[in-house]
Amino acid sequence: MIERIRVALLTALLIVSLAVPALAQKPVKIGVLTPLSPPGDAAAGQFIVRGAKMGAEEVNARGGVLGGRKIELVIEDDSGTPEKGAAGFRKLATQDQAVAVVGQFHSSVMTAVQVLAEQFKVPVFSTQASARQITEKHLNFTFRTHVIDPDRCVMWTRWAKERGFKRVALITENTDYGVGLVDETKKAFASMYPGAELKTVIFDRAVVDLTPQLLEIKNWKPDALFNGGIGTPTYLIAKQAWDVGLTPAVPTLISYDAPSRPEYWKNLGEKGNYASFIVYYHPTMRLTGRGEAFRKKYMAEFKEDPIYGALNGYAQVVLLADALNAAKSDNTDALLKALLAGKFEGWNGTISFTHGEGPYWQQWSPPMLVIQYAKPEMPFADAKIIYPAELKTGDWVAAPKP
Amino acid sequence: MDALLLSQYVLSGLVIGVIYSLMALGITFIYSIMKMINWSMGEFYMIGSYVQYAVIVNLVGPRHWYLAVPLAMGAVFVLGLIIQRFLLRPMFVGGVERRDEYATVMTIALMVLFRNLAIVLGGPNQYAPPDYARPVTLGTLPISGNRFVALIGTLVLLGLFYLVIKKTWIGRALRGAAQNRVGIQTAGIDVLRLDMLAFGVGVALAAAAGALLAPDFLVYPENGAISTFKGFEIIVIGGLGSILGSVVGGVLLGVIEALGSVFISAAYKDLYGFLLLIVLLVFRPTGLFGERERSV
Repeated sequence: MIERIRVALLTALLIVSLAVPALAQKPVKIGVLTPLSPPGDAAAGQFIVRGAKMGAEEVNARGGVLGGRKIELVIEDDSGTPEKGAAGFRKLATQDQAVAVVGQFHSSVMTAVQVLAEQFKVPVFSTQASARQITEKHLNFTFRTHVIDPDRCVMWTRWAKERGFKRVALITENTDYGVGLVDETKKAFASMYPGAELKTVIFDRAVVDLTPQLLEIKNWKPDALFNGGIGTPTYLIAKQAWDVGLTPAVPTLISYDAPSRPEYWKNLGEKGNYASFIVYYHPTMRLTGRGEAFRKKYMAEFKEDPIYGALNGYAQVVLLADALNAAKSDNTDALLKALLAGKFEGWNGTISFTHGEGPYWQQWSPPMLVIQYAKPEMPFADAKIIYPAELKTGDWVAAPKP
Repeated sequence: MDALLLSQYVLSGLVIGVIYSLMALGITFIYSIMKMINWSMGEFYMIGSYVQYAVIVNLVGPRHWYLAVPLAMGAVFVLGLIIQRFLLRPMFVGGVERRDEYATVMTIALMVLFRNLAIVLGGPNQYAPPDYARPVTLGTLPISGNRFVALIGTLVLLGLFYLVIKKTWIGRALRGAAQNRVGIQTAGIDVLRLDMLAFGVGVALAAAAGALLAPDFLVYPENGAISTFKGFEIIVIGGLGSILGSVVGGVLLGVIEALGSVFISAAYKDLYGFLLLIVLLVFRPTGLFGERERSV
């Protein structure tokens, strides 16, 4: 009998001793829910995944988190649609048991998944979704390390005012992002630029022929055109505006950093010239030690300058690793506390999340710059910063008169 | 109302309507012969645009883009023959009881398959072949050279299609099959071969539209969605099974969208075609040139 008890105890001991290292080695999963197929901006999603993977590799190379556990990324495609995003988030939160989800790009998707984040108590990070309402709802599990649309619209209104463009047309898509741009730009024009006229045109995101909309805008004789497309519509607007003779005679400002990607010139050729666009990163910017190391590694690996989405995807993963270590647990409540209490080294500054007013809730914003391509095939790194004045590296260039 | 803008909108609507009629013609042609709706037409449009891009970039170069169009059509024609032979023919010879349901399920499955294959093989990003021509002014309308080329290409293809259908033996056989599948077999014609040919030609027309519009509307896995949408709108307006109806329906849709854009707002351009469609369905359910089905 005693012999049997001894065998049973030894067996139990053996099982426990084998299980403890196995538990210690159990990876901590972080979800990357991002657009990797149309109709989402799949190029943006790919860059975010690239950055997130490099972040996980870096954390794992220095020993992982929580005393040796590896970070494992679980990548899900949201296709830029709320329904696929919601399904992806559910899978990440329940089946994969991700401790947090990064990579959100489309505002419509982020708006849908942040409700689930609250329900499953899993922090979700907006990597490039900028609609005001995302952080304005003051949800506990929603974080953002990207600009917000009110700031974007204030910036392009200031830019138009500084350039003396009194008639501005904004063409954008019928998404949360597009509708938000229209609302915020109207507010900004009304408060900051009285006397100036703003014409807004919203089109269905699936539409490919924008000729009537652009002819209407051309006939209105604007001084400047704001391109509020995301992904394919950005290129369709740029191409077709040039075809109907609207641009480059009418200066254009693209609402986000799509032109910084290598595909820009391939898709537009000379039709992309003279476009100005809003960016959050420029290769001439001074970065943190972490950001600089990432940039070097990225350039060595991909033979090109990193894109903002990659920098932000990377920063969110390493930030989460820091927060997990601070929390000393992968429990999401503990992680939430650590995220709110900590200061984290990002790619270009220290990131912290506070409970600010309005949309500045658990929100950290990178800088915003306007840069311009002044010749066809111009490398992103050579494009000059034309706004704001204190960061200018060159002057805005008007297209020659036809 | 600004007369210049009105004329520009109408011309723009006419141009795009004629080009979209190529899609509608493909759908209606397949329906006429095989009595089935091909829900994956947009994906053949998409494949046409990918082949066009690949041939221009890797084979013939941007200056010889016009060589790529027949190659794109040819490649999709062959693909259509294969699909018809192995996936759709069982509708007629395999004892399938519910042919309509079979065709619907099969072509929707093909739609999903091709979209995902495009993502796997070509990546999710968009591509653009170099422009076919410099922008031109058509009357009062400044349009891209690509769209002008697409218009001319469409008119040529519509003309060729008309000649083949009206003036050749095979065209007569196809018309016969459209009228009576059983009757044509009593005249010794292999209707299953005609099915293959019709499917191949129908999807090649969609591929031509995709190839011609590739520089303007870009090349990406979902680029065929809107043209399929328009194609179906056109055949309902023009009348399912009517070749003339697809061309007239295309032009009418383009003009209605243009007029709606002028008098209401360009932002709702795609709504106006549906309003026309609803009105037509109420007062003339068979479409402008469609005929009521007769049975004995």
